[in-house]
Amino acid sequence: MRINCPLCGERDLREFYFKGTKLACPDSEEWGADWDDYLHNRDNPAGVSQELWQHVAGCGVWLIVMRDTVSHVIGRVAVAKDEVRDAG
Amino acid sequence: MVELTANSPLDLWLPISLGHCDISEIIPQGITSISPFKANKNNNYTELNAVLPHKYPNANRATGKDGNRLIWMSHDTAFLIGPAPEKITAKHAAIVDQSDGWVIVRVAGDDSEKVLARLTPIDVRAHHFKRGYTARSMINHLNVSITRVGANAFDLMVMRSFARTLVEDLTEAMKTVAAR
Amino acid sequence: MRFSGWQVIKQGLTGNKGWKPQWRKPEPKPEYDIIIIGGGGHGLSTAYYLAKEHGLTNIAVLEKGYLGGGNIGRNTTVVRADYSQPGNSEFYSYSLKLWETLENELNYNIMHSQRGTYRLFHSDGQRDGFARVGNAMINQGDDAILFGRDELRKRLPYLDFGNTRFPIFGALYHPRGGTARHDAVAWGYARGADQRGVDLIENCEVTGIDIENGAVCGVQTTRGAIRAKKLGIVVAGRSSQVAAMAGMRLPIESHILQAFVTEGLKPVIDTVISFGMGHFYISQSDKGGLVFGGDLDYYPSYAQRGNLPRAEHVAEAAMALMPMIGKAKLLRSWGGIMDMTPDGSPIIDKTHIDGLFLNAGWCYGGFKAVPGSGFSFAHLLATGNHHAPAAKYRLNRFNAGDLIDEEGTGSQHNLH
Repeated sequence: MRINCPLCGERDLREFYFKGTKLACPDSEEWGADWDDYLHNRDNPAGVSQELWQHVAGCGVWLIVMRDTVSHVIGRVAVAKDEVRDAG
Repeated sequence: MVELTANSPLDLWLPISLGHCDISEIIPQGITSISPFKANKNNNYTELNAVLPHKYPNANRATGKDGNRLIWMSHDTAFLIGPAPEKITAKHAAIVDQSDGWVIVRVAGDDSEKVLARLTPIDVRAHHFKRGYTARSMINHLNVSITRVGANAFDLMVMRSFARTLVEDLTEAMKTVAAR
Repeated sequence: MRFSGWQVIKQGLTGNKGWKPQWRKPEPKPEYDIIIIGGGGHGLSTAYYLAKEHGLTNIAVLEKGYLGGGNIGRNTTVVRADYSQPGNSEFYSYSLKLWETLENELNYNIMHSQRGTYRLFHSDGQRDGFARVGNAMINQGDDAILFGRDELRKRLPYLDFGNTRFPIFGALYHPRGGTARHDAVAWGYARGADQRGVDLIENCEVTGIDIENGAVCGVQTTRGAIRAKKLGIVVAGRSSQVAAMAGMRLPIESHILQAFVTEGLKPVIDTVISFGMGHFYISQSDKGGLVFGGDLDYYPSYAQRGNLPRAEHVAEAAMALMPMIGKAKLLRSWGGIMDMTPDGSPIIDKTHIDGLFLNAGWCYGGFKAVPGSGFSFAHLLATGNHHAPAAKYRLNRFNAGDLIDEEGTGSQHNLH
């Protein structure tokens, strides 16, 4: 599996760390079903998944990676910081 | 009072020459990380470049020369290898003194590319990785910054605590290249 | 057909022509009392104990491929009961007791070999931790011995006791731990269930779960619709997909775990050893191959194959622990899909849908759990009550904060 880091170029899996599925954090401040769901439950798709990875052994940036969990094909890769900034 | 003498990280261990490859320690006057603020980025670093000895580098590039070099390190971060940039102010960039945190080893000689080829997954051959190119990657298990500084010369930068591991890895690779 | 010494001699003298298939190939009936989705180790043992312990025989096991074609055929065969957390401790202890009588129970040679397991420790802190685990095991009625470095060196002289980076301080020894022939466990349970009237239906993939008024009433499959009063999901490696057919989202992330086997070698490792400072554990199969594995690749995957960085890590750990195996040639490597829960422990529970039961999330501990899991899940399916040794494996324990966090790393998906 090789991930195309937008800054460094295509690099081997060993340079990256997997954080988890990219999820939207609940708005509420109190513990409830939404926080339980956010922390524990997962769609866990057999197919394309939107994930957070960090290029730990390279430039260190956090990446949003579209990856197929069955074929390991890597789709769109974006720098998470830019993505958030563009979204406002 | 005993007067303590500061050694450089690899004072006792380098230089080493084996075959057609030499490794030596580069002792910079200082290492400063520079993270430009957003306004500078938006105006193409004009104000920042005015107070830097060389242009702020693009991703995967280095500017300047021995004694005063700017090396891209990460998203919105470069290292200045040289005297501390005194003219930078709070309106330009966040700066942090990293001098004691890193060690720089120069790999030079006709076989330097072959030695590095045994240690890093990136392609450092000249047609691919020209003078002034830099990359963040790995030397065996170490996170490293690799910069080509000459036709047959590279500067490798790792965290200071990895200094002797870097030398050991390089020495092993130099031995195997020399033995061929 | 029962196996016996007499049968072996008779068949040997008559050209081995009298052996019969060990289970039927029935067509699915229109309706069953209970349907088990998944014909792996856990599903087959569940069906077996439903029939044997609860006298229920109008049961089908639906398998999308062939029996025992999933993780029961892809694991590293270690059987042990060396857990310390309430919930796990009593469950794995119970499961190991079932293992110890399983060959007689099934009249099947599962080659269960209690050759002992060693968990090495490499620091004072790790020794204290393992001493505590050992005491928990003894409290549970199982066996554990803490060996110091000198005793361990007599027992396992081939370990690298000169390694200064990962010095070996000793090991927690679990004499009743060992290995078993993984495929035979599935086959033994399959034959036992079939003999008692359970329909084992292969090449039958479940494509939908039928729910009416909040209760399960059947499944849609590639071989037609089948009605059922109760439904048990036992599909390690696909739990999230099958649960999604019932509109459920599970606390599971599926990861890949790799294993490796070398060419056949003369007997050298007569036990099971796990390294305490790197991800590596090893045993030797009866064919002579060194069977070893490491940790997860650490990214969700359904690919049943791993990547090279983890293989490299495992090889490095192997060389740090026992350099003698450095010249052994790898024969094969493969990957299995681990359904990982946030706290690293499994789920055996009812769901909010009447008649729908879930057995999932075995992380990397599924093989040793096969008898206990089947027994407890059968109990739950048949009686509606939780079987005492598995009573803590609740689906809502993450929300409730009632974690079974064996590794002490917290309730978070990427930590186990």
